[in-house]
Amino acid sequence: MAADGLYKYSEQINELLARYGVKFGIYKNNVFKEQLFPFDTIPRIIEKAEFDCLERGLKQRVTALNEFIKDIYSDKKIIRDGVVPEEFVYSGSGYLVQCEGVCPPKGVYTHISGIDLVQGEDKNWYILEDNLRIPSGASYPMIARDICRRSSPATFEKYHIEDNRNYAKLLRRTMDYVNTGGHTVILSPGRYNAAYFEHSYLAEQTGAHLVTGSELTVENDRLYFIDYSGKKEQVGAVYRRISDEYLDPMNFNKESVIGIPHIYDIYRKGNVALINAPGNGVADDKGIYYFVPKMVKYYLNEEPILQNAPTYLPYYEKDMKYVLDNIDTLVLKDVAEAGGYGVVFGSKMTKTEKEEFIALLKREPRRFIAQEVIDFLDIDIYDDGEIVPRKADLRAFVLMADEPLVWKSGLTRFSRDPDSFIVNSSQGGGFKDTWVLS
Amino acid sequence: MAILSFSNSDRLYWLGRYSERVYTTLRSFAKHFDTMIDLKPEEYADFCKRQDIPNIYTSKEDFSRRYCFDENDPNSIYSNLMRAYDNAIVLREEIGSETLAYIQLAVYAMNKAKISEAPLLELQKVVDNIAAFWGMADDRIDEANVRSIIKLGKRVERIDLYARMNASPDEIRREIHRLSVRVPQTGLKYSTSVIVHLNYMAEKTELDYPTIVKEVESLIDFTEIRPVIGL
Amino acid sequence: MKKLNFSYHMQLTFEYPVRDHHFTLRCFPPNDARQQILTESIEIYPKQYSSTQTDSFGNRCIYGTASWEHNYFAADVNGQAVIDKDKNITEDAYKTGLFRYYTELTRPGEGIMGFYNKIKRSGHPLETAKHFMDKLFENFVYEQGATNISTTAEEAFLLGKGVCQDYAHILISLCRLEKLPCRYVAGMMTGEGATHAWAEVFDNGVWHPLDPTHNRLVDDTYIKISSGRDAKDCTINQGVFIGGGKQKQEVKVTVEEIL
Repeated sequence: MAADGLYKYSEQINELLARYGVKFGIYKNNVFKEQLFPFDTIPRIIEKAEFDCLERGLKQRVTALNEFIKDIYSDKKIIRDGVVPEEFVYSGSGYLVQCEGVCPPKGVYTHISGIDLVQGEDKNWYILEDNLRIPSGASYPMIARDICRRSSPATFEKYHIEDNRNYAKLLRRTMDYVNTGGHTVILSPGRYNAAYFEHSYLAEQTGAHLVTGSELTVENDRLYFIDYSGKKEQVGAVYRRISDEYLDPMNFNKESVIGIPHIYDIYRKGNVALINAPGNGVADDKGIYYFVPKMVKYYLNEEPILQNAPTYLPYYEKDMKYVLDNIDTLVLKDVAEAGGYGVVFGSKMTKTEKEEFIALLKREPRRFIAQEVIDFLDIDIYDDGEIVPRKADLRAFVLMADEPLVWKSGLTRFSRDPDSFIVNSSQGGGFKDTWVLS
Repeated sequence: MAILSFSNSDRLYWLGRYSERVYTTLRSFAKHFDTMIDLKPEEYADFCKRQDIPNIYTSKEDFSRRYCFDENDPNSIYSNLMRAYDNAIVLREEIGSETLAYIQLAVYAMNKAKISEAPLLELQKVVDNIAAFWGMADDRIDEANVRSIIKLGKRVERIDLYARMNASPDEIRREIHRLSVRVPQTGLKYSTSVIVHLNYMAEKTELDYPTIVKEVESLIDFTEIRPVIGL
Repeated sequence: MKKLNFSYHMQLTFEYPVRDHHFTLRCFPPNDARQQILTESIEIYPKQYSSTQTDSFGNRCIYGTASWEHNYFAADVNGQAVIDKDKNITEDAYKTGLFRYYTELTRPGEGIMGFYNKIKRSGHPLETAKHFMDKLFENFVYEQGATNISTTAEEAFLLGKGVCQDYAHILISLCRLEKLPCRYVAGMMTGEGATHAWAEVFDNGVWHPLDPTHNRLVDDTYIKISSGRDAKDCTINQGVFIGGGKQKQEVKVTVEEIL
């Protein structure tokens, strides 16, 4: 249905997005710049039946991931039973020893998950990556939807599209569920953060208070917000948009000036909820990714509904052999890197590069995963007056409240460059709204 | 009243002050620019003196360009608008996206005027957006203290600028009266003796402009009223 | 079995006053299978607010805040403990995996790896660890001032000299090369002086304490304070504050047997 020609209003819609400051920040040569996030008006459309299946799969996957994190930081049954080798847990950069023995309020670790998927030419959806630390991006389709509805009300009357502007409500429900008593705040490192627009927009939309570390203090085992008259207001939930290592100089990086001393100590006692839980990185490591389908079976005793992209772990001898034999058809990823970095295509390496890479792979097999290159199903974008096919992925959001909730939308990111598979906004892509039909 | 952090109370106040500074100096600039066209090409020197800013300009063309648009001149209207923006951008939750949008639009209009061949015409849009910002602030901000702090900043700045420009005693009196009504509604700690003194001075036939500027600037000292964090 | 009196005193002196001082202290001997704390008194100065908790390694901590200006910070812990070296500290093997992996302080370099390769390993975990300890004792010299708290195992090994922390780190590094779970222990021993450090190696469900500085098994004259992957996990006094300039830390430990 080509979205009934919403693209005719591309310019006006983007102007409105600019008016609301829909931007992300980037550092170029150490100078902070705000950049508009280009919006493509042609939506990605997902049929109801298709999304229902995705929804079941996403709930299942995130439930298993939450169980995994809980297990790793307590009983470690999955290690005892030999399903996940301990090496992938303890030598991964996402494992935080400080989380050992700590149970977050209501046992929720993965309050907000951003699961990246792609659709192959075979129409199958594949999971690319789980983001369980501080996934961002939900605010962009939310505000874009609001403006698109204004530009073509008839379209939204005619088609039955799930309203995605309920994200704030879902998020609020998720935060309230774990709140230990008091206000809910969104902790931002400040306006010079890439996702500052989102921090401030989500604060406005959820009614949580946007704060920085210096406005919070720990006293008598409780967290307080200090208001401008010096009055202390208790805080029971912190949706923190700063990474684990900066959260608390007494428990993590002691050089951090954006954190709150002792916040982790009272979290350990169950006196405040941190959203997402610290230590989640143990489950979204590229090496651990390989084991997620096994976790689904292990914890839930169910067959995984969603598939990973076919992945090989050179850590296992059999996989190493496969990787060496088929390197030209594989994409190789450094497990320690993120954001589209540390990714190389076997087919694009020169002979010496390949030799060097193989030597490195043999030296540090644990450091890499290899995946079959998926033929993406291209989707249309409106570029400079014409409609052209481009690579795109989908970030689906799963919120964990009293039950897992899947947001009936998602952030579709596309690459402007026809030859590029990398859709990260930090590398110059744009975004689309995602319509789920009802 | 909304719970509001100290730093955001400070920012709301300065958002009020800088938005007013941009608005009033733009209007005053337009008036002086008009005088410069056929009467006094050196009018800008007087303007700088009154505004208490260094006259770093070499000609009336240089003045009208740099005073409006020079991002490296800390006294330029451009710089003041960017300060308003820097404060506003971190206040989305307090003032709302709809209100914030008008400061954003003023910034876009300023950047457009900067590259325009007829900048004065384009600058009108900056004035319009600031006026719209105030209208939205009045209409859309539910929290009385938040609204009052912005307005307080605006009043303080207006008295400051009007006094520097030797505005008529009636205008100053009106503004001092509005300020006196506004300040208790903000929840900020302020100096009551400053309010008493300003009202006393406003009743005189001959206004002591420099003292009014000094007094109004000392009404609220954010470095003094910062709450002590810790026990 | 021995009954010991212990006293731990720590004083931190600042060149200039500090304020907004947040601290976490880890200097409180725990009750475990080997040791029982009979009496205990704790004094911390200054503090406006403090609280207790147990960290991820089971170590007891007191954390808190002193906001007002102060020139020194002190902690005193006195008490009595009963130590029984014949009791075992047990654990499930699959939970000890994390002590098999290197940390920044215990990562071996070419020095330690070369040394490791020259040592014969029996395959029996505790015997191998003891053998590492013998060899280390032969090849390493006790000397104060050559290393500091942030010296890594590899750096100390290459220097060939160091203190108890360095002995413990090198032994840990060797055990981890052998894939043996091994952990760092901070504690006190009979006599007067500073705190002491040793290591515990895991074998067959039991943590076995070894003192590589003295090349012997830990006996009833040792009081354990804390354990972790390395010395950093056992930091006795950790703080962030504003101001201070240069600082000087004095520690005095006294442990005597009650006969």
